[in-house]
Amino acid sequence: MDAVSYPDTGVIDFISNHVIPLRVQSDSEPLATDFNVKWTPTIVTLDSEGTEHHRSVGFLAPAELIPCMLLGVAKVYFDADRFEKALLNLEKIVSDYSTSDSAPEAIYLRGVNLYKSTQDPKPLKEAYEKLEQDYPGSEWAKRAYPYRLL
Amino acid sequence: MADSIQWETTMEAAMERARSEDKAIMLDFFNPG
Repeated sequence: MDAVSYPDTGVIDFISNHVIPLRVQSDSEPLATDFNVKWTPTIVTLDSEGTEHHRSVGFLAPAELIPCMLLGVAKVYFDADRFEKALLNLEKIVSDYSTSDSAPEAIYLRGVNLYKSTQDPKPLKEAYEKLEQDYPGSEWAKRAYPYRLL
Repeated sequence: MADSIQWETTMEAAMERARSEDKAIMLDFFNPG
C-alpha cells in the first residue's frame, strides 16, 4: 500500500476529501484486539462513533481502493438510514468504477437502499437484472436471485 | 492538494474530526515491517 496505492495522486485526493484517515500499527492496542486484526493491510471503515461498517483485508490497487472506500462510506450512511448520501456513493461506484470488485455489491446495495427509502420493490428487481446482465455468476448476482420474482 | 495522506494517529482525534466534518473514518492497520 505504501509503495503503490497511498502515493497515488487520485488516492490522496480521494482520501483527503472524503474520509478521515487514521493509521495505526497492527499490534497497536487496544485497537488491534477491539477490531480483531489478524493480517495486514486491514482497512476498516468506521462511523464517527468508532463503529465498524466495512472491512477489507489484503492489498488494494488504487483502482480498487477508491471504490472499496466509497462502498464503506455508503454503508456508514446506509446503516444510519441516510439513504440519499448512501446512494451518492453507490452511484459513483457504478458509474466510475464499474469494473472494480466493489461494483457488484454496490449494485446490490443500491437496490436495497432504494427499496428501503421508497418501499418500492422495483429497484430490487432492477438490481438483480443488472447483476445478471453485467456480473453473471458473481456472489451478488446469486444473492439477488430471489428478486427476479418481484 | 496535499502531496501525501495526512493520517491521524489516534482514534480520539479521528472521531473528533469525523463528527465535526460529518465523514467516515478510514482505519488502516499496517505492519511497519
